[in-house]
Parts: sequence; structure tokens; C-alpha cells
Amino acid sequence: MVRLGDLERRVMEILWVEFGSELTGREVAEHLPGYAYTTVLTVLTRLEKKGLVRHERTGSLHHFAATATRESYIAALMHDALDVGSDRDAALVRFAETVSPTEAAVLRRALDDMANSGSTPRL
Amino acid sequence: MRYALGLAAICVVTFGSAGPLLARAQWTHRAPRAAVALWQAIGISGALAAIGFGLAVTVLPAHAGLRGGIARLGHQAMGGHPLQGLGISGALGLTLASDVCIVLVIGLVTTGIRTTMDRSRHRQLLDLVSHSVDEVPDVHVLDDPRVTAYCLPGVRPRIVVSAGALRLLGRHEIGAVVAHERGHAHGRHGVVMLPFASMDSLLRWMPYVRHARTEVALLLEMAADDFAVRSSRPRILAGALLEMSASGASPTCAFAANSTAVASRIHRLLRPGRTSISVAAVALAASTVVPILPLSALI
Repeated sequence: MVRLGDLERRVMEILWVEFGSELTGREVAEHLPGYAYTTVLTVLTRLEKKGLVRHERTGSLHHFAATATRESYIAALMHDALDVGSDRDAALVRFAETVSPTEAAVLRRALDDMANSGSTPRL
Repeated sequence: MRYALGLAAICVVTFGSAGPLLARAQWTHRAPRAAVALWQAIGISGALAAIGFGLAVTVLPAHAGLRGGIARLGHQAMGGHPLQGLGISGALGLTLASDVCIVLVIGLVTTGIRTTMDRSRHRQLLDLVSHSVDEVPDVHVLDDPRVTAYCLPGVRPRIVVSAGALRLLGRHEIGAVVAHERGHAHGRHGVVMLPFASMDSLLRWMPYVRHARTEVALLLEMAADDFAVRSSRPRILAGALLEMSASGASPTCAFAANSTAVASRIHRLLRPGRTSISVAAVALAASTVVPILPLSALI
């Protein structure tokens, strides 16, 4: 059984490919053979609650679209990751902060010295 | 009177001089996890001493000792007359004790809620837009040319690297970076940081709080480095650290504090005898004794 999370992801991918135009629930479901129309509608509603999808109604038809592009979500995540020192930076644990070019040169020399002397502390 | 002075002295030492002293100490880098425990212990000790001092001032006029005085205060509160017989100093003391509790609890709860919401929003988007690569199947990859790697804490922590980082680093280096992030996930470092982050916004004027957040963050990085070198060579990890820091992914951050942190991590990785069990043992012993000190006023 496919988890609902995976299906959300696939629905978003469809809407991202079609970004700029709006799809009806049926059109989204056509891209997902093997899934019931109602399941796809449930997923679309869930995504709308999360603010990732918006929908408009014309007559009896519901048209769905992604609220933003995939790239802009990646940009938002990268902003979280790179936004060091803000008062909201408690959410992530980062690998490394930035060093200045001069300091990088000094550190690189220290690393090279060690490689040349062959004294790795532990193999 | 004596215990009130004793508790006040503990407050001054823990929130005043202990932080800067511990931040300057070099031995902490040889036992980072034990040093984090000591930072926690000092914070708990200071908070207990501050609450205890407030209560001690409150019950001073009763001349019944700290324990007897608190018992009487509790008795009055149960009887519905908590403020009976309190002078101005007593009322101030009680205010201090309750304010310390309120500030700590509110700070922790608001930071906890905010951080949890930030993380769950981040996780939601991450699961939609990230993909995996064959070399590191359980790592989330973000299609972005900039260089970053991080751990998103949670019940099921996510380890994330950017496409830029994958391009910059070799296979072994990526392995070391991922092992480092696994160290954060494994040690639940997100939870450890939370109290320090919560105090930071409210109580930054205290020397302890000012130093604790940056120092504990650095010590946790070192703890994650120690975890990583169980499976990767220290030189590889140091190289990855240097490459990622030098790539200048984050031009907005303050150079001074952060670059010293990276430099001390790299130097530490290159040094033989990086960790010391005896230093860790002493630090752990100290961190069990320190929180008990303010409680001894009750005896």
C-alpha cells in the first residue's frame, strides 16, 4: 500500500509540472492510474489545508493549482538552512558555518601539512 | 540568614562568573558531551538557587529556618492565606521565586512550540521536494547549487544535503558529513539545544546565558564530530568541514564567532588524543554535584 504522504508528493509533482495552469480533480486523477478519483480529491483537500494547493470553482467544476513552484519551496528550505544567527534558527542543526578566505587558507595548510607528514591520528 | 546569603552566592557564581570561565576553558573540547552536561548542571543550579533565594527572603522574618519557613508558607497557601504576615521583603522574595519559575516555563514552552512548528513546516516541504541519491539512500537531497548540510531534529530526524554539497565533496567526505549529522540525530541535539535557545532571547543580559548558547552549540558539533570519526577518518571529516565552510554559503552570518568555531573543530580533529575519559569523568562528577548545592540549604 502506498502511504498518503507519497501520494501527496506525486500530486504535487503533477501540479508543479502544470504550474501556471489549473487542473480539475479528474485531470489530476488521470495522471495517477490505479487511484480512485475520491482518493485524489481527499489528497488535494489535504494539500489545500496545508496551504500548498489552492482551488477555484467555476460552476460545478473545481480547478486546482499549486500555490508556488517547487523551486520556491526549495529556496524557502535553503533559506532556513542558511539563515544562521537569526532568532528563529533553533529549528535546525547545521554542519558548518562560514570561514573567511584567509582563515580557510591557514586551515588548508594545516590539513596539507598533516597529509604530507603522513601522521593520520587514526586509520 | 546564612542560607539566604549562600543561595545568593550560588546565583552570582552560576549566572555570573561560571559561564565566562567555562567558555574560556580548553579542557571542555576534550570531553564535549560531559561539558554540555556541566553547562546544563550550572543552569539548573542557578535556577534552583534563585528560586531558593526568593523563598529564603520570604520566610526570613519567621525565624523558622528555610525548611520550616517553606513548610509554613505551604501551609498558609493551602489554607487560602498565602500572603498572611508577609512584609515588603517577604512579598518581594515570593515575587522573585515565582517570577523565575514563570520566566523559565514560559520561555521553554514558547520556544518549544515555535521550534516544533518551524520544524514540522520544514519537514512537510522537505518530504515533498527532496529526493534521494544512490550513494546515500536515506539522506534527503535538495536540488540547490548552494552548499549546505543539516539535521532536522524530530521523532524521525531527517538528514539533508544540498546538490551543491554533493558536487563539492567526494564520496568519502559526504560519508563523513552524513555520519556527523547522524551524530546530531543520535544524540538528540535538537532537544539539548532547546533550553539554551529559549533562555537566549529573554535573559541575554546574564553572562551565563550569553555564553551558554554558542558554547553548547560548538560542543555539540564536537560531539557529532566524535560520532562521525567512529566510521570516517578524522582527516576526511576535517577536509569536508573546511571545504564546506570555505564555500561561503552563508555570507550574511557573523564571521568572527563562527569561523573560530570551525577552526577549533578542524584543529581538534587533527590532534591525536582528541578526547579524554578522565576529563569526562571529572566533568560528569562535577555536573552531578553542582545542581545539588542549592538543595543543601534545605538541610
